[in-house]
Amino acid sequence: MSAEKSPELRELSYAEAIREAMDIALAADPRVILMGEDIGVYGGAFQVTGDLVHKYGTDRVMDTPISELGGAGVAVGAALTGLKPIFEFQFSDFAALAMEQIVNQAAKVRYMLGGAVSVPLVMRFPAGSGTGAAAQHSQSVEAWLGHVPGLKVVQPSTPEDAKGMLLAALEDPDPVMIFEHKILYKMKGHVPEGHYTTPIGKAAVRRTGQDMSIVATSLMVHKALSAADQLAAEGIDCEVIDLRTVRPMDRETVLASVRKTGRLICVYEGVKTLGVGAEVSAMVAESDAFDFLDAPIVRLGGSESPIPYNPELEKAVVPQVPDILEAARNIAKGRI
Amino acid sequence: MPVEVIMPKVDMDMASGKVATWHVLSGEHVEKGTPLFDIETDKAAMEVEAEASGILHHPVAEGVDVPIGQPVAWLYQEGEAVGEPPAAVPLAASEDKKASPPADETERDPVSAVKADRVEPQQYGAADNVRATPLARTIARDAAVELTEIAGTGPRGRVQAADVRGKIDARQTETPALQFQAESGPLNISRSRADKGIPVVLIHGFGSDASAWKPLEAYLKGRPVIRIELPGHGKSPKLRIDSFAELSSVVRRAFDTLDIERAHLVGHSLGGALALSLADTRSKSIASLTLIAPGGLGPEVNGPALEGISKSTRAESLGPWLKELVFDETMITDGYVKAAMASRKEPALRAAQARLCDTLFPDGVQSFDLKAAIGRLDVPTRLIWGKNDAIIPWRHALRAPGNIALHLFDGVGHTPQFEAPAEVGKILRQVYDGAS
Repeated sequence: MSAEKSPELRELSYAEAIREAMDIALAADPRVILMGEDIGVYGGAFQVTGDLVHKYGTDRVMDTPISELGGAGVAVGAALTGLKPIFEFQFSDFAALAMEQIVNQAAKVRYMLGGAVSVPLVMRFPAGSGTGAAAQHSQSVEAWLGHVPGLKVVQPSTPEDAKGMLLAALEDPDPVMIFEHKILYKMKGHVPEGHYTTPIGKAAVRRTGQDMSIVATSLMVHKALSAADQLAAEGIDCEVIDLRTVRPMDRETVLASVRKTGRLICVYEGVKTLGVGAEVSAMVAESDAFDFLDAPIVRLGGSESPIPYNPELEKAVVPQVPDILEAARNIAKGRI
Repeated sequence: MPVEVIMPKVDMDMASGKVATWHVLSGEHVEKGTPLFDIETDKAAMEVEAEASGILHHPVAEGVDVPIGQPVAWLYQEGEAVGEPPAAVPLAASEDKKASPPADETERDPVSAVKADRVEPQQYGAADNVRATPLARTIARDAAVELTEIAGTGPRGRVQAADVRGKIDARQTETPALQFQAESGPLNISRSRADKGIPVVLIHGFGSDASAWKPLEAYLKGRPVIRIELPGHGKSPKLRIDSFAELSSVVRRAFDTLDIERAHLVGHSLGGALALSLADTRSKSIASLTLIAPGGLGPEVNGPALEGISKSTRAESLGPWLKELVFDETMITDGYVKAAMASRKEPALRAAQARLCDTLFPDGVQSFDLKAAIGRLDVPTRLIWGKNDAIIPWRHALRAPGNIALHLFDGVGHTPQFEAPAEVGKILRQVYDGAS
């Protein structure tokens, strides 16, 4: 996508792009409300809502009590009765506290009432490690919710997608869970003006290549792109796919890439076992793209460990650029 | 329980090695102490003997780097069920393998042993028992290429797409003159009526066939003679042969079917190289080895003559090349040439030989090197050569070690058994009567 209109592409941070999306939605649709702990005057744990409370007032930008289960329950109820709440968690780890409302209510009510109602709810989850926030504030739990039919789960990796996917989520009649990597909040990038949507369920090919496909999510997309640059200098031509949506997964984009390259690396920050990459791998192995595989599939995911507080250990338990380089070289040189 | 064959540490600072050549094929029996494979490290190449007797299975592909201590094959006992290769043991365990058997302990459990006996190898893995990637299989299937004919370059010999594509490319770059419908089946073996004493096994040279031994056989009266015809020669099937090692294995398999305890082995030219390779791996079955102007002892060979013989389509073009074989050209009469051409009238036979010539003697060079093999022979061996050999220089004989007798004939070309059969026969009888 290019913006012919302006020679200087407008840049916003990922957090600013999300705030702009919420601002646009609040202005355009009176049913849209923001809910969450400290999102009002404080501006949100990561300053994403910022000063929106001053523009739209406390009726539409509501601080909720320190009970994720209670807040989520109110949000589900509001969605059922005609509002479009955007509920912010302070940390995605706290999804655990609200599981009943997310998994047993939001995801299932429409089904159980025969389609008579829907839950147009958006939940935002600051996710991932790298901030020194230790084991209970650093996890990547998108696979928990990706396992639940009735939910949509997305992981935008750029400011442009962060805005576009939030606006797309608001147009969706069903609950959409947005995992925002905390390290990305300060990342700057081009963000188009005004209202636009980035489709949910559609992956983005961030770099085209012939030798292997790297399917990555969230922050790992940037690590994969950085690795791909170094690998290109070594003559290893990687295709990098930003999965963007965990559920429903973009089968066609991934399979087409694997059919072309014959090799697959999945890079994701969540725990490797039973994670997003496991699903991508299985999807490929079960498909006709299997016949195009010329090397074993490799998954790079989080270690079988809580995220440590120690900064060096914190880096060690999630995939880093050197891990991607090593995996790609091993595959390219036929060592695995 | 199968015995593991591991990559040995033969160098102080060696981390891994390659199996350069297997002396035994998968499924073949090997005796303890006989050569099993040649290894190549960064610094050295050497032969490794079998540490136990058994039937070889799951060998790694030639040319693949294997860390020291890791298995390169397994030796099974007769009747032992062969399924998947046993799981590779970790390095630490294999270094200590004498202290404790590395393989799964449960294999000793009688219940699981019975289960293992019932397992057909085909039940596991791909039907062809080849380790290959899905893409390699897809490409091979579409191009009708046999995966079993391809040496995989991936880890543990895995056939990858590039290996299959390489095979297809090699096939496509072959000129039409080298293309033929590959056949399968065992080599043609013919035997004389005599049955007393150790038989003489004869392996003819390139472009020839079993009938070339007739003049010599007249001087071996009374001794059983067994002639092996090379693939694409005489009545043998036209196999697709892609290397000397492959040809050597085919001949070894033919030899193994002979059902004889010991043999006096005689090989001429290419047949000499094959006899030498056979003696290297079957030394206990070889009573004596006679190499007549053998190949494999140097790079030089009369390439144009070999190519000319294999490609000639009529007596007029064949005759001049045949005359290169001998010293006294009058021996190559018109009748002789016509008979030779008649035996080569089938275009597929000529194409098979032309392709074999291209495979073994690319650019007119002997691509296989048996100097190491002749250096380590422990079989009584004689070399017979004509000093007027215009196909392979007789000076190659000087590369043999001193314990090998050398008979040089003046006024004789590349075919002493044809040009001087009485003298060659006399040498053989001396050897054979001594050995009985």
